[in-house]
Parts: sequence; C-alpha cells; structure tokens
Amino acid sequence: MFQNRAEALALALPAALFAAAVFLVPVVILLSDGFRSPVGGWTISAYTDFFSNTLNQTVFLRTLKLGALVTVVSAVIGYAAAFAIVNLEPGAKGRMTGLVVLPLMISPVARTYAWIVILGRTGIVNQAFQALGLTEAPLRILFSETAIFIGLLQLFLPLMIISLISALENMPRDAIPAARVLGANWFQVFWKVVLPLTKEGLVIGGTLVFTGCLTAYITPAILGGSKVLMLETLLYQQVSVSNNFVSASVIAFILIVMSFAANILLKRVATARNKMRSQP
Amino acid sequence: MSDASYLSLEKLTLAYGDTVAVADLDLDIRKGELIALLGPSGCGKTTTMRAIAGLLPVKSGRVRLDGADMTRVPANKRAVGLVFQSYALFPHLSVYENVAFGLKLKGMRGAELDAKVQAGLKSVGLSSFANRKPAELSGGQQQRVALARSMVMEPKVLLLDEPLSNLDARLRLEMRTELQRVQKETGVTMIFVTHDQAEALALADRIVVMKGGAIEQIGTPEDIYNRPVSSFVADFVGFENIFPLEGGQLRTSGGLIELSGEAPSAAGLAWRPRMVTLGTGPFRGTVRGTSFAGDSREYLLDTSFGAIKAEVEAGLPAHALGADLLFDLPAEKAALLSKFS
Amino acid sequence: MNARSLFIPATLFLVIAFLIGPFLIIVAASFSAGETLAFPPQGFSLRWIAKVFTVESFQASFAMSLFLAIGGTAAALVLGIPASYALSRYKLPGAEIVRTVVSAPIIVPGIIVGLALLRYIVVPFQVGITLALFVAHTALVLPYAVRVVSASLDNLRSDIEEAAVLLGSSRLGAFFRVVMPNIRGGIMSAFILGFVTSFNQVPVSLFLSGPGVRTLPVDMIAYMEIVFDPSVAALSSLLAFLSIGIVFAAERFLGFSRYV
Repeated sequence: MFQNRAEALALALPAALFAAAVFLVPVVILLSDGFRSPVGGWTISAYTDFFSNTLNQTVFLRTLKLGALVTVVSAVIGYAAAFAIVNLEPGAKGRMTGLVVLPLMISPVARTYAWIVILGRTGIVNQAFQALGLTEAPLRILFSETAIFIGLLQLFLPLMIISLISALENMPRDAIPAARVLGANWFQVFWKVVLPLTKEGLVIGGTLVFTGCLTAYITPAILGGSKVLMLETLLYQQVSVSNNFVSASVIAFILIVMSFAANILLKRVATARNKMRSQP
Repeated sequence: MSDASYLSLEKLTLAYGDTVAVADLDLDIRKGELIALLGPSGCGKTTTMRAIAGLLPVKSGRVRLDGADMTRVPANKRAVGLVFQSYALFPHLSVYENVAFGLKLKGMRGAELDAKVQAGLKSVGLSSFANRKPAELSGGQQQRVALARSMVMEPKVLLLDEPLSNLDARLRLEMRTELQRVQKETGVTMIFVTHDQAEALALADRIVVMKGGAIEQIGTPEDIYNRPVSSFVADFVGFENIFPLEGGQLRTSGGLIELSGEAPSAAGLAWRPRMVTLGTGPFRGTVRGTSFAGDSREYLLDTSFGAIKAEVEAGLPAHALGADLLFDLPAEKAALLSKFS
Repeated sequence: MNARSLFIPATLFLVIAFLIGPFLIIVAASFSAGETLAFPPQGFSLRWIAKVFTVESFQASFAMSLFLAIGGTAAALVLGIPASYALSRYKLPGAEIVRTVVSAPIIVPGIIVGLALLRYIVVPFQVGITLALFVAHTALVLPYAVRVVSASLDNLRSDIEEAAVLLGSSRLGAFFRVVMPNIRGGIMSAFILGFVTSFNQVPVSLFLSGPGVRTLPVDMIAYMEIVFDPSVAALSSLLAFLSIGIVFAAERFLGFSRYV
C-alpha cells in the first residue's frame, strides 16, 4: 500500500470527476426535477399525479409483476439447469457453460428480434398450433405481456444460471450425500441444504435478473409495442411523444428506487433466513 | 563518518497514518556487518527495513548511509538492495532480463551489461537458467535470482526480508551458506529481518532484537543466546523459567521464594530447561508431563514456583508421571535480566 | 433409463434450446430467398446478407458504433486504469466514494443516463451528437474497465513495483515497465468486454442519437419498424458471429473468463 495521497488523488480523480460530471450530476438534477414545483419550492405532486393515472398504475404494476415473475421463473429453471450442468463431466461442463453464456455476447436487438419470427402471426408457434388444429385463426402472442415475459426470460436466464452454477460449485462437495445419508428426501435436500448454501448466488442472480428486467428497453419496445408498455418504454414515450420531462423524471426516480429496493430486499431476505436458522 | 556507523538510524520514528510503528529508534551498523533484525510480527522490524530502503516515508529522525543523509532520498536513488520475502521477480521477464533490469536503468548496455549479468547469474549458480521465466523455477532458484538481481547493482546495503522462511529445511541450510558466502566475497553490509531466533543466531554477526517498535537488545549471537537482558529476549531465545527478583527472592505464582544460593542483583532471573538441576536440590516438584526429544527428555513439573520446565540427557533413567522429584534452580547459572516486562 | 438420469439431459436440452434456438432461427432466416422475414426460410439465398452491405444507413451507423465502441472503450481505459491503480495500490482518501461514483453508470438504467445527458449536458452546452454519444459510451464502459483492470491488478503482487523502484526505476517507470506488461491480459479483456457492451448498447444511445447520427442497434430498430425483410436478421447474424468470434479468440488467447 503506497502512502502518497496526492499521487493517489491525481490518479483517481480524472475518472471520478468524469463520471460525476457526465453521469452523477445530470442524473441527480434529472431526478430532482420531479420534486420541483412549477411555482418554486419542492413538492411531491408530480408523484401523486403520476400514480393517480390508471395507465401509469397499470404500467407500474406490470413492470413489477413481470420483473418478479421473470425472477422467480428464472430461479426455478436456473436451479434445474445449473444443477444439471454442475453434474456434468468437466469438459462437457465447460462447453455447456459456454453455451449458456453465449447469448450474452449477442446483441439484445438480435435476440429480441428472433422472437418476432417465432411469436408473430405467421411465426413458428402459430404455424404449429394451426397445423395441430389447436386454433383456427392465428393467435396474437406478439405485443403482449406473454411476449415480453418470454423475451425477458430468455435475455436474463443466463445471468441466473451462471450465478447458481458458481454457487453450487462453491457448495461443500459432500453436503448432499451427507443429507441423503441422514435420511433427507430430495425435496428436503433442496430446501434444507442446497437452498441455504446457495442463497448468496440466488440473491446475486435474482438481483441481476430483476434489475435487468426493470432496465431493459429493447425487449418491451419490440415485443410489447406501443400498447403494452413497461416503465422504460413509458419513459421513452413521455419524452419523445409527450415531451413530458417531469413525468420522465418521476419514472426515472421510481426505476432507481425499485432497483435499489430490490437489492436491499433480496439481501434482507437472505440474512433473515440466516438468522432464523442460527437461532437454537 | 566513523567506521562504526556506516549505516545509522537516528531517533527514527515511523508511522502508518497515525499509528506509530517504530518510535525513536537509534541503531549504528558497521560496514560489512551481517545484522539480523529479530522479533515477533508487529515488532517493527519490517517497517524499519522498509524505511532503510526508502519505501516508507520517515516521520521524524534520520537515516544516514556512508556519510550521506538518506532520509529524503527516494528509494530509486539510494543504492539499497532488497530481496523480498516473495522474491518479487518480474513475471513477464526472463531470469536474464530480471537480473539486467536495474543495470539497464543505469544505462548499461552491450557487452558490459552482458558480462555483469552473466557474472551475477554465475555467482548464484543459475547460468543455465538465463532464459527461463520465474514461474518455471523452484522457490529456492527464484530467491537466488532475486539475490543476483540485487547484488549486480552493487548496493551499499542489502536488505533481506525473511530470507529463509519460504524454503524447506534442506534449502534453508544451503541458502544460509550462500548468504554468508556472498557477504564474505563482496563485503556488502547485510541486514535481514526474521522472526526465527535460530536463523538469526546461525547467520548474523550481530542481532537486533525488537519489540513493540523499539530495540530490546543488541548483541552478538552469544550475547543474545547466553545473556539476554530482558525477560522478553530471554523468552524469545528459549529460557522457559523466568522470574522477577524482589529483595533477593524470586516472585513466583506460589509467592516469594528464597534461592538456594546467593541471589545476584538483577530485576529478574531466567533458566533454560537445561539449566535446571533435577534429582537433587532444596525444592520439590511433581512430574505432570514428559516428552522425549531424541537426545534429551523434557519434564514439566508442578512446583511451589508454579510450572517449571526441566530438560535432562535422554540416557538417564526416566521419571514416571506423578513422581516426586527434587530439583534446584542454581543462581550461578541463571541469566541476569535487567528489564522485566 | 429411469426418471432421474433423464432429468439432466432433458433439462439441458430444453434450456439450451430456449437460449440458443431463437438465434439459430435468425441465422436460418437470414439465408431466406423470400421477401419477408419467416421461418422456415423460403428457399436459400445470400441476397439478404449481401443487402446488409448495401444499406447506406447501416454503413454509417456501423462506422459510428465501431467508433464509439473502440474510442469510448479506449477513453474509459485511459481514465479507468489510473483509477484502478489508485484503488488497488494506494491508501486513497474516499476510496469507497470514488469506487461508487465510477461504477454508478452500471447501476442506473441506461435510458436515464441518456436522458440526463441530453437534458443537462448536450442541450445547455450545445454538445454535438457524436461527442455526446462518445462521452456517454465512455461513462457506460468505465465501470467495466475499472472492475476488470482492478481484478487483474489485485491478482498481481504489489511488491514487484517496489522491487523495480529499488532497482532504480521511478514509480511511473515501474508502472510501465513491470505493471503494464503483467496486466496486459486484463486490459485486453476489459477492452473486449467494453467493446461488446458499448456496441450492443441501446438505451443510452436512444435519446442521444440524432438525425443521421445513429448507433447500429438503434438504426436496426428503426429499420425494423419500417421494413420487415430478412436483412435485419442477416445483420444480426453477422454481428453475433463477429462478437462470438472476438470473445472466442479472447478466451483462447487471453483466458478472458478469468477476468470477467
């Protein structure tokens, strides 16, 4: 550890000042806009206005719901997938992990675009349904919550899987056999051994997925269209269509609060379970 | 500059932030001496060494080397070499380039450079490893590269941080010999830091025992081993029976006890287990533990002094656990401690 | 085969199909001979792949994205390497604040960053679109640069710098002579991660893009809204193979995943 403070500051300040100037200060001003009263002083009337609008309520709840749903579903699938991958031979494990990570390298535009081909009126799903005689007319899957859900799940599932893979790999190797020998069934093994031991990975993965869903723009924009909005797309509309910067500021603040709250909440959940278990 | 103070530390005070690590330290080292800074971790020995190298700014006091004040001279202009405990070889450079690193910075080029580097590698027996990367060498070889890298710079003082601690027993002996040879051949002043008293005793001309950021005792290995001046040093070099003296009597956990012989004037007395007379004497103890150590046998006695450790030659008949034994702490054999802590 | 031994391959198949399948469909669709985007592709042709290279706006926006990804990442590294060095090697006053500030752009949704920049930097200071995008992409990549470079600095013992100084090097010289060569892999990895992040980034660029100046993904979205032909699929496939190729090469030669 070098002691020279002047040197340290000279090295660190350019980056810190740059980030503060082009990022921190503008964002703080933007957020403060939502609390500024048009007649001077501070007010939360923009927030009460925002939440009294039913469209906004719907969008807010939809964002919350889709975020939570994608997080939960990705956790369920993620455990199964991570468990399957961890139990593979080392070589196959590396290749499978690679395949899971691969989509992260592909542009979200391309990844989302694919769902148009699959879920569209003449897409594969509708072709299959019609061929099987399940429906007469093509179903409208695109531009719905379902489409956004599928798109977000595909976008963020890899983050959950890799978080859980590393959590499962860091688990003591003999924990599962030990629990089995002590008479636990598979459900008990998961609930009493695997879940507590991989909780940290689950929390990291969950936070990444949930905040990812909140901040995703492309997926709701392409798969939700202009009708099925999420907070991000609503924000864009407020600015580009309505020129309503106060409303945009309110949405921005809500998004930031939601992602911070998710962070804190998930951490709390993890530690609360910890405390419960450590009590005699 | 007198010959006795080639390197001198005057009232040296060193701190990390507001935490003082070394306070008012005075030390004079002769040219060509091999000095050990000995002490437990946190005693300030490494801090002192880093200040000599110029890696740690001096809070107050002075560092003088070869007649010049080095206190404010930056580390890269001091002509002080340091062999790091981790060796700190440059992983991206070959052995040859590691050794050439400092010479090149001095502006040395061509045949002169090559000759110096080759000579440096040869002196540590690594000529055939010139093109290897550090990662391809054993720990002992890496250390010799680090030694050569410092020595080709012809430093006025060579510092070594725990030079033997990362080596296994066989290499340790080899490296000891190596360091003594290098020191003898080049006459460089060497200071090494260690927490291992055996290492210090075996290698150093003089040992500086440090404790809590200050010097506890300076002396030859014989001085330190036989005549520790304080209870701390006595304990550090293997005196296991240490008691303060009060009016000619030993203060023990069992109260004041009169010695068998004439009590010397000192703050305390210390006996190695070997110095305890077993079988005869005015005191009684019960054998509570015993262990066999090859050529000797150790006993742990419950006595009116508290616990006493005694050691006798292994050839003598063994005493069983619970046996009552006579023993003596002969005053004439004891180390006289002037400081008790 | 019992139910449990079937579980692993079945799960893997379904998950990988879900994750990779859509991408394969896009690749297949880009070789279609038909006029509209469809799967299964109607016939086989390279016409859409060829068309990608003739669309002028794609050329311009590709050049812009490339410039932003390379320039923005390079600028982020120029700022980020010294900051990482200070964080990893020095007792820096307010280190936690610095760390939070430089990594904040990763936490806040990109669309907000873009809007804030537009409203309070671009408009009041009359900043040009290209410069605004450049600054935004630099800020966006900075957290990744600091994280990856810090990780590789933390893996490098700091006493080699002290060794270099004791052998006569200045502190700055020690940085270039013994630190840089040993964190080159980390810097390259940061560059690749930054490049991919910047290149694929949409929300930050959304508000900052102006008439005629767009990043490629923003341009692709705009194109899709007007024309529904397979050329966007073709372009997506090409880009995907490009980034997969880069990452694969990086993993092969640098051990990319060690740093990320």
